[in-house]
Amino acid sequence: MIEAVATIGAGQAAAVAVRTLRRAGFEGRIEMIGDEPDRPYQRPPLSKEYLASGDDEGLFLLPEHWCEENDVRLRLGQPAVRISPADAGVELADGTLVAADAVLVATGGRPRRLPAAAGERICYLRTIADSDRLRSHLRPGARLIVVGGGFIGAEVAATARGLGCQVTVVEALAVPLLPVLGPAVGAACARLHQAHGVDLRLAESVAEVSESTAGVVVTTSSGARIEGDVLVVGIGCEPNVEVAARSGLAVGNGVIVDEHCRTSVPNVLAAGDIASHWHPLFGERMRVEHFDNASKQAAAAARCLLGRGGPYADPHWFWSDQYDVSLQYAGHASGADELVVRGSLDDLDFCAFYLRDGLIRAAFGVDRGAEVMAAKELIAGQVRVPAGVLADEDADLAELAEAALLDESLEEELA
Amino acid sequence: MGEWVQVADLAELARRKRKLVMVGGEDIALFLIDGQVYALRDTCIHKQRSLSKGVVLRGRVICPGHQWAFDPATGQVDDQEQCQPTYDVLVENDKVYVGPARRLGGTGRATGGEGQYELSPSPAQP
Repeated sequence: MIEAVATIGAGQAAAVAVRTLRRAGFEGRIEMIGDEPDRPYQRPPLSKEYLASGDDEGLFLLPEHWCEENDVRLRLGQPAVRISPADAGVELADGTLVAADAVLVATGGRPRRLPAAAGERICYLRTIADSDRLRSHLRPGARLIVVGGGFIGAEVAATARGLGCQVTVVEALAVPLLPVLGPAVGAACARLHQAHGVDLRLAESVAEVSESTAGVVVTTSSGARIEGDVLVVGIGCEPNVEVAARSGLAVGNGVIVDEHCRTSVPNVLAAGDIASHWHPLFGERMRVEHFDNASKQAAAAARCLLGRGGPYADPHWFWSDQYDVSLQYAGHASGADELVVRGSLDDLDFCAFYLRDGLIRAAFGVDRGAEVMAAKELIAGQVRVPAGVLADEDADLAELAEAALLDESLEEELA
Repeated sequence: MGEWVQVADLAELARRKRKLVMVGGEDIALFLIDGQVYALRDTCIHKQRSLSKGVVLRGRVICPGHQWAFDPATGQVDDQEQCQPTYDVLVENDKVYVGPARRLGGTGRATGGEGQYELSPSPAQP
């Protein structure tokens, strides 16, 4: 029987785990240990609404009164050093031992650094402080250089265009998001940015960054010179494995967990960006840096702590709002051998389905949230849908998914 | 809007399962789910996307914007404190009416002007 839970990290995953524990009736002590000074908050708005406006309405996750009513103690601005099973607790940088007989490692990640780029005009984006700092540079007419055309870079570019900045994006690959979306769909994403006035430099990497009081200059691999007032780096994320490694947990690309979020040490779980989890549906180990995974995986971890958990097999889903467009993705396209498009790539109104051996593995939609959600159900249920039906605008995928769910429950009843 | 307003034919909803209507200047999304008609404000309380462009799964109306899942009867959101406004619905002689009341977290039971009105469990197929 677990009496006290500590979370290392106080972001999305930790907050959802704590909320799930209390909603499920866990009455033991709960402490959240966070190295950031801020109360738990969600990160998606940091590249979108919050970056644009600085309005923090809806940003924070566990209101003060909720923590008081639910007896949740926050230890903010306090880095954890290690989990010490011998002392039954978590050791903090100031020497405090936080007693706990179960620990959730939710330490997240940090932006990958661009070598030799660290001055006043160089921004990264992970925290509220990062978003505030970047916003202070995004005045109308300001010249923004974005390094990396992935989701963070693309969202920052879109927000900055909305604020009236001039935006240049430097992307090392031939199209943005090439490994995730493939060439045809990646090219559609490139057109989205170009249509909104972004100067997109594809297949160019950064050779040199130089900064002066007047601005920042990027020299690209082809020798092009790009002048800007501010540069933001969005080239991926590194998992914060240090506490886990010091605690003797198995780490690789993140903290290694099984499909129940369990690490190599008993009563120590991990969830969110940090968790390199075995995914029973896709039959692979993966680490996912998205909001919905942080939430759902953390809830699964909390249920596992209470002994009520099933395996975590959510197909994963994420969104990215750019300009006035809703981009959404569900599943995991690795090894896909067939692409089926419903709608029009040219008109930026489509849902693309990634199939492997005739089964949908992933879907990506532009303003097609309904199709992506239906596809997520079809992926989870491993429902075989003919390519012609996927491409047919009049075929209702939600109905197919519902019918499959019904069959499944009938089979379970009969079994 | 102070009166019941006729907004759709049941046969039409039975075919399409949903319809976007406008009453008193407000967009309202109608859904037919397991033989029941529901009416919610179309504009999502979260980020103003259109619920009528969403999807219905496991009896929930799912917004296409960020996949918030609403109980169509009460407007309550799974895992959130917020609530989508809902409207009373009346079905009479295969015509669908939307009621005057806009409620937050209402009972969602289909009610008539004076008392309870039971909807036919399975609407007539066209």
